[in-house]
Amino acid sequence: MPKRPAGTSASPASLRAEPLTAETLAAESSKAALRRQRQRWQGPRRSGVQRRLWPWLLLAPGLIWLLGLYGLPLLALVPLSLSEPLSRFGLETVFSGRVANYLEVLQAYGPILARSLGYAVVATALGLLLAYPLAFAIRFRGGRWQPLLIGLVVLPSLSSYLVRAIAWTSLLGDQGPVLALVSALGLTGPLDALGVLRDGRLLNTATAVILGLTNNLLPFLVLPLVVAMERIDHRLLEAAADLHAGPWRCFVQVVWPLSRPGLAAGILLSLIPAAGDLVNPLILGGPNERMIANTIENLLLVQMQAPRAAALTLVLMALITVAVLLQLRGRGLEELPLP
Amino acid sequence: MAPLFQEGRCDGLGAAAAAPFRSGRRAFLRRLGWGATGAVLAPGLLQACGRGPKGAAAGGGRGGELVISTFPLYIDPGQPGAPGSVERFRAATGIDLRYVEDINDVRQFFARIRPQLAAGRPLSQDLVVLTGWMAERLNRLGWIEPLPLEQVPNARNLIPSLRHPAWDPQQRYSLPWQSGIAGIAYNIKATGRPLRGIDDLFDPALKGRVSALLEMRDTMGLLMLADGQDITRPTWATAQSSFQRLEKARRDGQIRRFTGNDYQNDLLSGNLAACMGWSGDVAQLALEQPDLRFVVPESGGVLWADVMVMPKGSRHRREVAQWLNWVYDPVEAARIAAAVQYISPVEGVQQVLAKTPATAALARNPLMFPDAAEQQRLHMFGPLSDAEEARWDERFARITEG
Repeated sequence: MPKRPAGTSASPASLRAEPLTAETLAAESSKAALRRQRQRWQGPRRSGVQRRLWPWLLLAPGLIWLLGLYGLPLLALVPLSLSEPLSRFGLETVFSGRVANYLEVLQAYGPILARSLGYAVVATALGLLLAYPLAFAIRFRGGRWQPLLIGLVVLPSLSSYLVRAIAWTSLLGDQGPVLALVSALGLTGPLDALGVLRDGRLLNTATAVILGLTNNLLPFLVLPLVVAMERIDHRLLEAAADLHAGPWRCFVQVVWPLSRPGLAAGILLSLIPAAGDLVNPLILGGPNERMIANTIENLLLVQMQAPRAAALTLVLMALITVAVLLQLRGRGLEELPLP
Repeated sequence: MAPLFQEGRCDGLGAAAAAPFRSGRRAFLRRLGWGATGAVLAPGLLQACGRGPKGAAAGGGRGGELVISTFPLYIDPGQPGAPGSVERFRAATGIDLRYVEDINDVRQFFARIRPQLAAGRPLSQDLVVLTGWMAERLNRLGWIEPLPLEQVPNARNLIPSLRHPAWDPQQRYSLPWQSGIAGIAYNIKATGRPLRGIDDLFDPALKGRVSALLEMRDTMGLLMLADGQDITRPTWATAQSSFQRLEKARRDGQIRRFTGNDYQNDLLSGNLAACMGWSGDVAQLALEQPDLRFVVPESGGVLWADVMVMPKGSRHRREVAQWLNWVYDPVEAARIAAAVQYISPVEGVQQVLAKTPATAALARNPLMFPDAAEQQRLHMFGPLSDAEEARWDERFARITEG
C-alpha cells in the first residue's frame, strides 16, 4: 500500500465540531479513507462506455465461476428437492412438486439440524474466547514478531483438516495424553459430572467434536480480528491516553468498538463452515454426535434419496443465509475486514 | 452411514515369511488406509482420475489388458525378491493387469459406477470384487454379465459351501474372491474375561468401549441370530427387536461407534474393549497385539462372501478368464490365503498350506478352514427385496447416524 500523503487525513477542524469520542473519530477517519481509496481506484478518466464496461470485464471471471459452479447447481437443487425418484437405483427423478420432502426431512432430521447449529455456535464462541486475546496480543504486543505470529496461526491450516482430525484421535484417545493429564489432576469425576467427559472418555463425544471444530475455526476468527485491530488508528489510542483513559477504559471505549467489525466478520466466516462440517463429527464424534452434513451424505450416497438430500441441503442453506443476514444487519460489507 | 470407512476388509501383509517386518509394515499400511479415506472424501476428484472407456479400448499387445477394482489390502503384496500375485500374473501371462484397490465402501463405489451403468455405458473395469449383496443388486439391475466360465477350468475348485448362492443359482455371474466371518473381536486384558456371545457386547461394564459394524447385514445378522431369528430369510418383522436393541444401545452410549474396517485402529489403541469384527482382520491384528481374540458368538456367526463379477460391457473376457483361472489354482490361491487369512473359496488350499512348514499353522486355523461343526454355526444373510432393503437401510441409517 502506498504511503498516505500527509495532509489528506480527516481535517482536525471537522473533528472539533462534534463531541470527541472514539467512535466519531474512527468513523470520520475510516470514511475519509474510503473516499481516498475510491479516488485512487477510479484512476485516469475514460470515456463513459468504457467506464461502465470496464468493471464488468474485470468481474467476469469471478461472476462466471460463481454462476456456473455455485449459482446454477444450487438452483438445480430446487426442482430436485420437489421431485420423487423414479426408481430406487435409477438416476431419473420426476418433478411432482412434492413439498412433503421438506416436511419429512425437517421432522426426521430437525434434531440433527439443531445439534449442528448448536455445535457451530458453541465452537465459534469458544473460538472467540481464544481468538480475541490472541489477536489483541498479535496486534498490540506482537511488535516485529507480528508476521511470524500470524504465520503460526495459519500454519495448521496448511495441513489437511482430515489429517488434523485423525491426529486429534490419538491425542484424545482413551489411552491418550489429554485423558492421562485429566486423570492425573483428579478431574475425571468433576468433568464427567459436568458432561465434558462421557463415561470417562473424550474421544467420540460432543466435546471432542466441538474442540475439533474450534481448532479448525481459529484462523478464520483471528485473521479478521487482527485486520480490524490493524485498522485502528494509533493516534486514537494516543488521544485516549492524553485524555487520561486508563488501559481498561481505552480498551472498552476505543479498541473493543473498533474491533467489532472484525468480530462480525470472524463469526460469519466460522459459523458457516462449522455448521456444515463433515469430518469432525465423523472422526471425533460417535453416532450421537452426527451433524447435518453426515446426514445429507448418507441420504445421497447410501439411501439414494437425492430429492430429500436436496431438500435438506436447501434448508441448511436457508438457515445459514438467515444467520448471515442477521449478522450483517445494518452493516456495510466494506466495513468488514474480510481477509 | 458414514459410508466413509467401510467394508474394505483391510488386510494383507505378507505371508508368514515376512514376520520380522510385519508389525511396522502393517501399521504403515493402516496409515495408508487412512490416507485412502481422505481420497474418498472427494469422490468427485476420484472420478475425475478414473480412466475413460478409451483407455480400455486399446487392447492388442501380447496379452491384452485387464482392469480390476477391489478392496484395499486384499491380496498378497509384493516384497523385494518375492513378487506378489499381481506381478506374478503379469509376468506369467503378459497381460497388462491394472489391479486397482479403489473400493473402500461398496455403497460409495456403487454411487460412483451408477451413472455410467444406468446410462448403459461400459465401465473401465473388466472385473469388480464386491460384497455378495451388492453383486446381487447389480444382477437384479441387469448391470453385470455372465463370466466366461467355459474358459476357466479351475472354477471346479470352488468349495461346495460357497457354490450356487441364492441369487446366482447356476453360478453364471459370480465367483467368490474370499469369504469370512463376522463375529466378536475383543481385547481380553480390557474385558478381563473371555467373551462368548453378543449379549456380552451389551454388558454395562463395557459401556462406551464397544463398536458395531456399518455393514448392516453383519451387524443385524449377529443381533438377529442372538435373538433366535433365521437370518437366511430375514423379514422386517423378525428384525424389529434387534433394531430396537441396537437403537437403545446407541442412544445410551453403550455403542461408541459404527465402523468399517477402522475398528482395527480403535482396538489396537485401546479405545475399544470389544467390537463386531471380521475374522481375517483379527488374525492379522493378533500378531501385533497378542491379547486380541476373535470369537464366533454362541448364537452363531454371519458368513459373508465377496465375489468377482463382470460389469456389463466388459471388453476383456479372455483376460478375465485367465485371471479367474489363475486365482482358482490352489497354489496361487494359497499365497493369497496366507496373506489375507480369510476363508479361501478354493479347494485344496488347506493341503498346499499344510505342506509348507512356514504356513502349516494356518492350515489348522479354524477361522480359515471351519470344520463341519463350525460351519453349522455360520449363516449367510438372506436376500432382501428392493422395497425391503430401502426400508432397512433407512432404519439402520437412523440408528448409525443419530
